[in-house]
Amino acid sequence: MIDLVQNTIDGLMIGSSYGLLALGFTLIFGVMRRLNLSYGPSIMIGGYFGTVLYLQFGAGPLVVAVAVVVGAALAGLYVERLCFAPMKAGAAIASMVSSFAVWMQLEQAAILVLPRHTYAFPPLATGAPLEFGPFAVRIDHLVMLGCALGLAAAVQLLLYRTRFGLALRAIIGNPVAAHLVGVDVRTVMPLAFAGASAIGGVAGFLVLAVDQQVTPMFGMWATLKGLIAMMIGGLGSVPGAVLGGLLLGVIEVQSQWYFGPQIRDLAAYFVLFAVLALRPRGLVGSLSEASTQKA
Amino acid sequence: MDDYTIGVLSNIGVVSFVALSAYLLLLTGEISFGQQAFFAIGAYAAGIATALWGWPLALALAWGALSGGGAAVLVGIPTLRLHGLYFSIATLAFAEMVRILFELFRYQVEIDGELTGPSGAEGFRNIRYIFDHNIDAVQFLLLIYALLAAALLGFVLLERSRTGVAFRMIGEDATLAGLQGISVARHKVLAAGIAGALAGVGGGLYAHLTTYVEPRIFDVMLGVHSLAYGLIGGLGTAFGPLLGVLIDIGLLESIRALAGYRMIIFGGIVALLLIVRPRGLLDERTMHGIGNLWRRTLLRLRRPGPGPGPGPGPGPGP
Amino acid sequence: MFEISDIVAAYGQIEALKGVSLKVESGKITCLLGPNGAGKTTLMMTIAGILQPRRGSIRLEGTELTGLTPARIVSRGVALVPENRLVFPEMSVRENLLAGAYQRRDRAGIDADIERMYARFPRLKERREQMAGTLSGGEQQMLAVARALMSRPRLLLMDEPSLGLAPLIVAEIFDIIAELNRDGTTIFLVEQNAHMALKVAHQFFLMEQGRITFSGTPGQLAEDEVIQRAYLGTRRAAG
Repeated sequence: MIDLVQNTIDGLMIGSSYGLLALGFTLIFGVMRRLNLSYGPSIMIGGYFGTVLYLQFGAGPLVVAVAVVVGAALAGLYVERLCFAPMKAGAAIASMVSSFAVWMQLEQAAILVLPRHTYAFPPLATGAPLEFGPFAVRIDHLVMLGCALGLAAAVQLLLYRTRFGLALRAIIGNPVAAHLVGVDVRTVMPLAFAGASAIGGVAGFLVLAVDQQVTPMFGMWATLKGLIAMMIGGLGSVPGAVLGGLLLGVIEVQSQWYFGPQIRDLAAYFVLFAVLALRPRGLVGSLSEASTQKA
Repeated sequence: MDDYTIGVLSNIGVVSFVALSAYLLLLTGEISFGQQAFFAIGAYAAGIATALWGWPLALALAWGALSGGGAAVLVGIPTLRLHGLYFSIATLAFAEMVRILFELFRYQVEIDGELTGPSGAEGFRNIRYIFDHNIDAVQFLLLIYALLAAALLGFVLLERSRTGVAFRMIGEDATLAGLQGISVARHKVLAAGIAGALAGVGGGLYAHLTTYVEPRIFDVMLGVHSLAYGLIGGLGTAFGPLLGVLIDIGLLESIRALAGYRMIIFGGIVALLLIVRPRGLLDERTMHGIGNLWRRTLLRLRRPGPGPGPGPGPGPGP
Repeated sequence: MFEISDIVAAYGQIEALKGVSLKVESGKITCLLGPNGAGKTTLMMTIAGILQPRRGSIRLEGTELTGLTPARIVSRGVALVPENRLVFPEMSVRENLLAGAYQRRDRAGIDADIERMYARFPRLKERREQMAGTLSGGEQQMLAVARALMSRPRLLLMDEPSLGLAPLIVAEIFDIIAELNRDGTTIFLVEQNAHMALKVAHQFFLMEQGRITFSGTPGQLAEDEVIQRAYLGTRRAAG
């Protein structure tokens, strides 16, 4: 019982970063209606920005965090300009495959800059875990959870309380109608894309700082985790993304504790497959039905 | 031909099967990230058949195709009502489950005093059929391309058949196809089954070509690559995915000077290509143009003399 | 005065405008009739800036609109109520109206206009917190009209406002169109329902295969001939 509760606590902490990854992912999908496979690799590039600053100049966690977020946003903008902005209407698959090609590019670029397989990443917070009776909570996990939930709440407020949020929701709801009411879609889209990549950058920084290392494989990891959490929670909603992430975290930690790492991944994919087969719209509904029709 | 060239050509041939498999589903309008699963199932099934059960190669390859196709039909049914991104991610989840299950899969038998068979994440060694039967690399290369040619012939025939037309109609607009009296569900499961079998044959060939398979090979990267090949080469013809494989493996392997920058250049070229040609090099319109040109040439050649024309030749279909 | 001259545009491969010229007088209702595929929607999308014309000019009170982004065109005072309404399905009625005022910054004026819309369309007021996707077709049409009006347009474009609506609702929509016009809005309307359109229009144009083939006032051409040409096109009707 104690294990079960402790695992759930750990799972929620780790899952909060998955939720943040899913949040950035779902915003890009909502606005573009196309899958950005380079989402994770853009975050990985941000991670490399941060690592270079840390290794070369001994930058502190805050500077590194800013570097990761800015790097992810810039890489995201590059992906948007190359794979999404110039594509014709209806060429959704081309955008997706193009973003895959750019993934390969970004991965190789990272290896060119730092050729070893792993590099150190500055820790988020050190110190003994906090103890609550029989349960323990790592401080860096707590920071991760706080940042993730805080940022998700901020995004929700942005979407529902600001003019920019209104523009985003208009594009997600119907891009042509968004044009017709006077939303400058061609400006909002790249901004949203870069912003969503930056949200992923925050998630990436938190995860890397907890792991204290970065590898080029982080790109694939982030794309997959974000994708799974997003699809479990349901496309196009902030609470859905967060819930999907938290659930994925708990499933992973529980199954790893009881059955080992291979079953952990198996369980995550099994839940994903089952949710899709039984409840295709995900656990939480979406911002827009229309945005969920074609990839 | 030196060993290196034979190796590259064999690889191109084998990977073409997965690319064709992904392409067939693209025709019906679905994006699969998971065809590598059937490639893996075919590889393990055929490998087990020859190495553990002592089956002949032909039977083992057929068994690989059957396993791949059967598994594809089994997944095809629960994912039938999924479309777009939901379908793609379901196939991804399935393929990753298959990969992890192979990491857990142990089935070893003592053969010639040696434990042989799949051994979880360590893989499956000693699929030695082609050595034991003195099949040399060139012969196996010919076998790969003979089967690939048969698969392509199948595609050409399919494109002309009612089933092929039904596939493309479903790809264009499944609702409309349904209204025209096409059984969408049956055709989708059929397409999934054929695609699974194609990947299964490819997997069987792959296992015997390399004599060794491990689960790690069959990851998402292979799946997304297979999908990308069709988009790069073109969706207008079954030769499109082949062209894509040829460009990726053939061209890049041959330009070794680019080592280190290879993916930066290749990724950039693909991204730019897709802006100009979002449905690949050999897209539908290009193929239509080539078809017309071919027919016109034939007519022109036939007109002057009463004698027979220059024979049908291996030209592309309409 | 709103003036289109010699617009050439293509929409995909099929529908095309082959040099369209027409004038819409301020304060009037002008109607564009024509069979399916004549290019009416292409024209509307071109005016709104969603499609770029190959050549030609579109002017509102002398200001050139071609080449501007859709957002700029809205801020110049042109609003389109699109075919099939295109409301934002997962936003509330109120949020749809707010989105309609996206180009405006006068918070107080926007709030006052929302109240004005509620007064004009009482059913929207009843449903103001409801998701727009759950409204009936007629209610969605009213919302689309109200949303367009929220930008305070000098010219209101409407693309097939009667499409897919029950006859009673269609009559209601046309009452609203006439009423808006009495309050001073210039309206340029595309319709298949020639019978209803000719009742409210001051001026009409016939469009066939990407060209204007007739213009005049209702009554200048017998209604059944207009209807025949608007539904079937002259060539097919003659053949």
